[in-house]
Amino acid sequence: MSFEISIGPQHPIHVEPLMLRLSVEGELIVDVDVDVSYIHRGIEKALEARPYIQGLYLVERICGICNAAHSLCYCLNVEQLLGKEAPPRAKYLRIVVEELSRIHSHLLWLGHYFHTLGFETLFMYFWRDRERIMDMLELITGNRVTTSYNTIGGVRRDLTPEAEQRLRRTLDYIEERMRYYEKVIDSEPTILARTQGVGILKPSDAVRLGVVGPHLRASGVKHDVRLDDPYSGHDEIPFNVITWDTCDCYARVKVRIREVYESVNMIRYALDHMPSGDYRLKIPPFFKAPPGESLSRVEAPRGELVHYSISDGGDRPYRYKVRTPTLANLLSVVEMLRSRDGYEVYIADVPAILGGIDPCICCSARVMVTDEARRRRTIMTLEDVIKISRERGAKRR
Amino acid sequence: MIEKILAAIFFPGAVFLLAASLFYEWVDRKLYARFQNRVGPHLAGPFGLLQPVADLIKLLSKEDIVPMAADRLLFTLTPILAPALILLACMFLPIAGPSGIISFKGDLIAVIALLSIYTIMIYLAGEGSSNRFASIGAVRAALQLIGYEIPLTLSLLSAAIAAGSLSIGGIVEAQAERGIWLIAGPQIIGFAIFVITSQAEMERIPFDIPEAEQEIVAGWEVEYGGRRLALFRLSKDLELILLSGLGAAIFLGGPIGPVIPGLEPVLYTIYFILKSLVVLAIFTLVRALFARLRIDQMVSFSWKYLMSLAVILVILTEVIV
Repeated sequence: MSFEISIGPQHPIHVEPLMLRLSVEGELIVDVDVDVSYIHRGIEKALEARPYIQGLYLVERICGICNAAHSLCYCLNVEQLLGKEAPPRAKYLRIVVEELSRIHSHLLWLGHYFHTLGFETLFMYFWRDRERIMDMLELITGNRVTTSYNTIGGVRRDLTPEAEQRLRRTLDYIEERMRYYEKVIDSEPTILARTQGVGILKPSDAVRLGVVGPHLRASGVKHDVRLDDPYSGHDEIPFNVITWDTCDCYARVKVRIREVYESVNMIRYALDHMPSGDYRLKIPPFFKAPPGESLSRVEAPRGELVHYSISDGGDRPYRYKVRTPTLANLLSVVEMLRSRDGYEVYIADVPAILGGIDPCICCSARVMVTDEARRRRTIMTLEDVIKISRERGAKRR
Repeated sequence: MIEKILAAIFFPGAVFLLAASLFYEWVDRKLYARFQNRVGPHLAGPFGLLQPVADLIKLLSKEDIVPMAADRLLFTLTPILAPALILLACMFLPIAGPSGIISFKGDLIAVIALLSIYTIMIYLAGEGSSNRFASIGAVRAALQLIGYEIPLTLSLLSAAIAAGSLSIGGIVEAQAERGIWLIAGPQIIGFAIFVITSQAEMERIPFDIPEAEQEIVAGWEVEYGGRRLALFRLSKDLELILLSGLGAAIFLGGPIGPVIPGLEPVLYTIYFILKSLVVLAIFTLVRALFARLRIDQMVSFSWKYLMSLAVILVILTEVIV
């Protein structure tokens, strides 16, 4: 006999509203249904109503944690529309802040992940060290969380030598702490018991479901936008793409820990080889972009982030589209949560598996049509959306 | 007779135990916080000593809600019976003297039985509240009982065999006579098993499976709020005293120590509290060191390792004695 339990839309493991309807038999999960449509914010529509420079501040607020990635992606997108490129120093400074926010995001994730596994002590330690990174972000960008560092044509501030010294010291500290945590995680039997062999996602499934980011690399697939499509001078900076081939939650932990080392080294390299010169182009705050379309990709801490825009020659985008990494990764959760032959998923594994993708739900709301009168809810398929948009487009013309 | 009733009500009975249980909760929270690099409770009273009291009063003043689907009888009775059971078990603890307020031959068995009945109380509390998370939590509590009950009993029984007595007072006196605590010797294995299984009994990390916040919200206690939750919290605090006190009495020699004639009850109490605080500190350390296990891992762990270790220990004790 199976019965249904709802993890969400409000549940202690989610900071954000997400609904997982689980059909369970005893402690085993037999089926899952995911619903992300509790937090539609209409940001894409709002972007169409703002001049480009104002859109920058809105786009940062899509996600608090990967705000640096979102603003970078937006800036790259608009720069592409304008046919301009940021100066070399700005590129390196962008990398510094991007990698710092990646470290911050990974530390946050690691802490929260062990919290979901019931390991409160590690949670406290990770988040304490994360504060050091937040201090560095504040020192460099002026803001702790929403950094507002990237701007169209460069960055907003230069890096001072004192800030650089403090940054280097912090990086040493973080690296040392991460080595210690890695040792703890590898030698702690309860962590290993809860993560090894849990939430297996085979490389073929991962590719088929369009998984991105550390989650994909933890399935052993070597994919990183920084390597495949160097967008901000990443081709000049040496770094390794970390992969792990056990394809389970343990791999996800290991990949993120190792990525912190890589980020630390990338920042060090960028500081050592920082080009001199301007840190931003002179671009007037209000401008008209030439007609055309543009697509930009950034490796956000959670995976590949895609921004796409169409310009009709006006001072604001005609259409703006954001594809966040969590949306790409959510499908794999369903795959990982279903018990199959020889692969058992327990209720206790739900936080471990869902947490493994580093979900950020507020980035991911999709269209759901609710018909109040008929009390019916339907989720639109791709074909429906294409059909409706063609009809509407025809009408407007 | 009057003296006994007064002892049961005031010292070392209910009033003392309730006050001490809140103090033990403070010690537990403060230590846990320090292990995690936090400050811990520090606002209410000196060093935050009054924080558990403040929490209790706050909970007592909250609205009392009974879900419509809940079983009214169970929903009302279990929060009252749970602390009462643990309080009764605490009466067996040798606090102000070598034996507790109630003591008879074989009272160790009575305490173990009360601990098991408490878990059954939790099961009923969870099932009685008619919530899906609560049902899962309740079933987990019962499953967990299958895992830890026998090793816990065996670890206490092997100490009883080593001391040659089945009463807590008898075990304390045997340690006093020999002048050596039971923990010095093979019973240290028993103490380790006792510490691990106590964590399961108290539903603390790594065995807080029945109330795993991140999985099933609060498990069996999810529907309880206000004064009902306050009573459950109180019974958990009392459990802290009961199990740390039991560990101190059986493995660390209980309240026995060097005494000045005339001051025995006071010194005994101080020794008891100090020793049980040491046990509590070990409990807290274990809580700070692990992640939560899954229910199947927990049961197989206790049957594979704890159980075989406990059986070996009993055989070893039997051979040595």
